[in-house]
Amino acid sequence: MSRILDWALTAMLFESALIMGGGAIAAEDIEQKAQLCATCHGADGVPINKTTPVIWGQDEGYIYLQLRDFQKGTRKNALMEPIVAQLERQDMYDLAAYFTKKKWPNLGQPSAASEVAVKADSAASSIGCRGCHLEHFQGDGTTARLAGQWQEYLLSQMLAFRDGSRGNNPGMSDLMKATPEDDFEPLSKYLAGLQIDQYLGHGR
Amino acid sequence: MGSCRTAATIFGALALSLAGSTLALAGAETETVATTMTREAPVPSVTQDMLSGAATDTKNNLHTNLNYEQTRYYQGKQINKSNVSGLRPAWIFQTEVKESLETTPIVVDGVMYVTTSFNHVYAIDAKTGEQFWHYKHKMGPVTTYCCGPNNRGVAIHNDKVYMGTLDAKLVALDAKTGSLIWETQIADPELGYSETMAPTAVDGKILIGTNGGEYGIRGFVRAYDAETGKQVWNFHTTPEDSTGVWATHDATGKDMHRDIAAEKAALKKLGDPYKTLGGGVWQNPAVDLENKRIYFVVGNPSPDLDGSIRPGDNLYTDSLVSVDLETGKYVCHFQYIAHDVWDLDSVSPPILVDVKDKDGKTVPGVIHAGKSGNVYVHNRDDCSLIRFSEAMVDQTGMWTLPTPEGAKMLPGANGGVEWSVMAVNPDLNLTYAVNLHQPMTYHVESSPYPGGKLWLGGAFKVIPDSEQFGNVTAVDYNTGKIKWQKKTPLPMMGGALATAGGLVFTGEGDGWFRAYDAENGDVLWSFHAGAGVNAPPAAYAVDGKEYIVVGAGGNTQIDFKRGNNIIAFTAD
Repeated sequence: MSRILDWALTAMLFESALIMGGGAIAAEDIEQKAQLCATCHGADGVPINKTTPVIWGQDEGYIYLQLRDFQKGTRKNALMEPIVAQLERQDMYDLAAYFTKKKWPNLGQPSAASEVAVKADSAASSIGCRGCHLEHFQGDGTTARLAGQWQEYLLSQMLAFRDGSRGNNPGMSDLMKATPEDDFEPLSKYLAGLQIDQYLGHGR
Repeated sequence: MGSCRTAATIFGALALSLAGSTLALAGAETETVATTMTREAPVPSVTQDMLSGAATDTKNNLHTNLNYEQTRYYQGKQINKSNVSGLRPAWIFQTEVKESLETTPIVVDGVMYVTTSFNHVYAIDAKTGEQFWHYKHKMGPVTTYCCGPNNRGVAIHNDKVYMGTLDAKLVALDAKTGSLIWETQIADPELGYSETMAPTAVDGKILIGTNGGEYGIRGFVRAYDAETGKQVWNFHTTPEDSTGVWATHDATGKDMHRDIAAEKAALKKLGDPYKTLGGGVWQNPAVDLENKRIYFVVGNPSPDLDGSIRPGDNLYTDSLVSVDLETGKYVCHFQYIAHDVWDLDSVSPPILVDVKDKDGKTVPGVIHAGKSGNVYVHNRDDCSLIRFSEAMVDQTGMWTLPTPEGAKMLPGANGGVEWSVMAVNPDLNLTYAVNLHQPMTYHVESSPYPGGKLWLGGAFKVIPDSEQFGNVTAVDYNTGKIKWQKKTPLPMMGGALATAGGLVFTGEGDGWFRAYDAENGDVLWSFHAGAGVNAPPAAYAVDGKEYIVVGAGGNTQIDFKRGNNIIAFTAD
């Protein structure tokens, strides 16, 4: 997205954010308020571009913490910051509860080739990715689902953790710094290509 | 068979920062928690006398580690060396949750209680495997845990069973119906607190610690009133002066290469780090009923690998600690590794057993197996160290300091002995420990406290393509010598059960569950469970017939094959 478009979108979202803010969201308003999120994250759960994350079906605690961190300024994003500025804590919980109940969209990304999967698995085992993101990379609680996320977004975030530009999880930054750079591409392809619907719904 | 649903109402699960508050249920509403009940569990009230006498009770298994001393020594002899080869499944119960399984079944008069990842509880018939009821905890949205959505089981007292939850609550359920009676918010999960340990019930109190050593918490052990859920006492595992004695060597005399001058300068600049110093306690305490003391081990300092921002010995992390059962007041401690920067902390639950002191005199002792790969033997009176065992694993390079690029050292950060529970055979003076060999590099990277986020201060990284394996080791706690050791193909995590039948049971990550000859380690029986056997076994009897029971659900932390089976075995 060009910088001009970026600014235009920011301005529009900021204006909309004024509507969103100023008090906890009533239950009946949540659908309406979520329309603002749909501007970028997609009316059908498929984001408008591949560097915007899927939030439909994302883990509830994770969505809440990201909204909180955008507001606190520990996670930087020019588009998100004005949107969350006026949110109260309960608003963030409500939005997280709303989006986590939605069905994760199938982005149609291909399964990783076997040699890519082997390299990715070795990298994931080495730093213990599944220890937090769980067996199928479905995440849980405040840990993100990675399976089926946009490959471009996953790659960008791993690199952002690594170089510190995403600074709201030092633990992730440390793990990414301990990971060889040529592991990121296979990891992101492998994770993006995972289809895990069959494994969901038997935990919390 | 018909089923019905019983319901209890609770306040909204989104309640924030309710540290120490109890949610009474009468008259409350907004959310519904449901227990699926097939039929009422015919369980008697569990008295303190029953709990106190558990060591010789071969019918029931009333404690996660079999008795207050935590010996995990079952005195039944019906299943023994002569007939263990005929051990076969009596029944298999499958839970709804196919995820890491670390529960120890609790058995009372033919009723068994097991838990799963994500805080499900099942009451099942210990003779047939049929379900009485199933409770599914209504989990709050915010959970912070490092190593899997684990739970290690319930405690039982009178007519209730108790469980800690991933969203840092303590819940009390009706043992007969599974209905929620009360729940207490122990701490704020948004700050990194969670519960995975089974609580301990004693003298009307429910004892529980906390997870969170990877999140910059301030650790504690607490007692709650078993009837009301109100807090009785609290012991912070990181005192306001956590600096200690500036120890330069570990408990075994190895130089830890500390830069004391730099630490003292950091202390002057940063102050005492106790508020975010970690020190989780996530395994059961041993209870000395006679002296009214409990003994527990305290986990790693936060952040795990970066000592530069937490100067001092970081008391009481990586320590054995004793406090008064009635008041929670400090009694004594012994620190194994001061200012740990390797996460080689103290997790495996301590065991109370009589031991020989340095003069050969029999004294009340406490033993603990460290992630370092040593078994430590203490005097119970003052926590002092009597001896430590031969190393059960390769300790090459110990204690090489972590570097930004990564420094290789053994053991890896999972141990040695992880949380895996030991078992004791007091007739043989042997304790049985299961170990890991996982070569890792230790990386350090400094970052400020991130407020309840993963805070490792670096990374521990398994070296790709390095050989990994495990072992089962018998250690004579009166000499510190290894009596026997058996290598296993995979690193070991879970724990052991010893029996008066001369056996030791323990499971492996590839699905094998085995019985060893307690005297020499010969494998006498094996069964493949289809998923990682990474839960501690237990034993019990119904209608005069003995059973061995174990969970086979794999493990999240070291990624062993998941499953959802509870399997009970008999020998006829």
